[in-house]
Amino acid sequence: MSAIDHLSGPADLEEDERQAVETLLYRLADDEFVLAERYTEWQVRSPTLESDLALSNIAQDELGHARLWYDLLEDFGYEEADLIWERDPADFRHATLVELPFEGGDWADAIVRSYLYDEAEHLRLEALEESSYPRIVDRVGKVQAEERYHREHATNWLERLAETDEGRARLQTALDRVFPHALTLFEAVDPDVERRIDEYGIRTRSLEDMGEQWLETVVPFLESLGLEVPLSSDRTVTAEDLPSHVGRDGSHTDDWFDLHDDFTHTYRELGRDSADRIMPDPDDQ
Amino acid sequence: MDLETVKERAGPRAFSPKDDLPVEYREAATRMIQFHANSEIMGAYLERPFIRQAPSLDRKLAFSAKVQDEIGHGQLLYRAAESLGVKTRDEMLDELANGEGKFLNCFHYPMKKWTETPMIGFFVDGAAMRRQATLKRSSWEPYAHAMDKICFEEGFHVKHGEDILRELATGSRKEQEMLQEAFDEWWPRIIQFFGPTDDKSTHHDFSSEVGLKMMSNDELRNAFLTAYIPKAEKYGLEIPDEPRIEKRDDGSYKVVEDDLDWEEFFTVAKNSYEGSDIQIGKRHDTQEAVEWVRNVLDQHEQAATGAAQTAAD
Repeated sequence: MSAIDHLSGPADLEEDERQAVETLLYRLADDEFVLAERYTEWQVRSPTLESDLALSNIAQDELGHARLWYDLLEDFGYEEADLIWERDPADFRHATLVELPFEGGDWADAIVRSYLYDEAEHLRLEALEESSYPRIVDRVGKVQAEERYHREHATNWLERLAETDEGRARLQTALDRVFPHALTLFEAVDPDVERRIDEYGIRTRSLEDMGEQWLETVVPFLESLGLEVPLSSDRTVTAEDLPSHVGRDGSHTDDWFDLHDDFTHTYRELGRDSADRIMPDPDDQ
Repeated sequence: MDLETVKERAGPRAFSPKDDLPVEYREAATRMIQFHANSEIMGAYLERPFIRQAPSLDRKLAFSAKVQDEIGHGQLLYRAAESLGVKTRDEMLDELANGEGKFLNCFHYPMKKWTETPMIGFFVDGAAMRRQATLKRSSWEPYAHAMDKICFEEGFHVKHGEDILRELATGSRKEQEMLQEAFDEWWPRIIQFFGPTDDKSTHHDFSSEVGLKMMSNDELRNAFLTAYIPKAEKYGLEIPDEPRIEKRDDGSYKVVEDDLDWEEFFTVAKNSYEGSDIQIGKRHDTQEAVEWVRNVLDQHEQAATGAAQTAAD
């Protein structure tokens, strides 16, 4: 038997518990939503028709996952409009890694970013498989199954691009740019709340612990491709390694505010006050 | 096979890559299928901004899936065209990027607002469905075969387009007004979707003799009007006064073709319209930006082939 007591359903949580569950869900949902938003920039612009189809698939998977996690936040009485369309952009809790725009043609960025994200996502989902919050456990399996393919996709592309001098040089430039932002994946929204997320067993591994294992995975692999990871020599993350905005705490790059403005454009232009649903509720699927 | 035999044997799915076909047939079929494939890609350019600008998560997912389907259709169609042995896929994609490839008139015009999306998603796609359904009986078997999958998926697109139309038509007054504005602007282009009138069409006779094409432009256009005018009216849209449309005794509709701007149509058809430059420029620039990735893939391929040859030696 697990040493951790299971939490009750959304309606019966204590205030502290509810805040912890919500914070964890915002981390998950916002990451997936914003990453998907960026991935769709590659639709009709990828190097080949085949790579276009593959990345569109991944974008739609991530959108689907965002939908699953936002739906769990709706258990607490929020509507999609509150969670996305009318939410203050400064309240989004995604890591800055996912909000950076892709420069035109920078396929290396798409691949490096995807690799760094997907390895972290894998660890994060593993730490939710035995979460004390049953609504999360119900959904994590479906998400994990799809993420497996994303990791393969990123790894295969990395290996292929690293075969040529130009490919490797482009990967290095992308890595230098996005790696500090990838570190923000493991940053805290609020240290107290993160501690409670661990205490209540909503997540079975701490951010710090996952961050360490992530480094142990990605650094040797990237080095094996002839890439240099921009991190101090003893492979520990210090404040200096982090970018000036980390996302999780609500500090974001200007690019995020532009993106938010862009994706809420129609909603505002039409004066909408709710988001239309055309697909069945995840609980009914 | 000589041309006379082709005309005699022309029927639904009559010819495949196994047949030795005359160059006239292969070129005509390539021109037609390449045009169709190009149109799938260029249509996706017009719609992709609305993945981002969709006003709900579900609509965003549906738009992303639709754009992806269109790329998939392009992939299938280039394959069907390539199998005629006239041009490779890379040649056709290069032609599209450098402005030699032709594509549907509607995709030369910019689309700026969400309220315009059903103009493509419902009317243009609905028009495309009608034409494509007839092409399941095209004489080039790979083309007809591709059309099975494409028509199946287009059915979903048109339903989604109609759902957006319904939502806007039953939405706020502002939404209804913006919708009508979009309709006024797009309606003549939608009617011209089917191409020039039969007497102005340069390729029709041959294509129809060899079974590539099943119905004439005018027949298709009038069948579309007969089906879609009642649908537009059902959603409260007012049909613009021009071009004039005549209702015939049997309830079907016919457009007064001379009311349409054929000069603009032929400018568009030659890729010489101002919007053509913008749309083709986008394709050109985005393709050029990822040229380096294709070079890496080519080098990988060459290395793999080289290694396989060494192993075989």
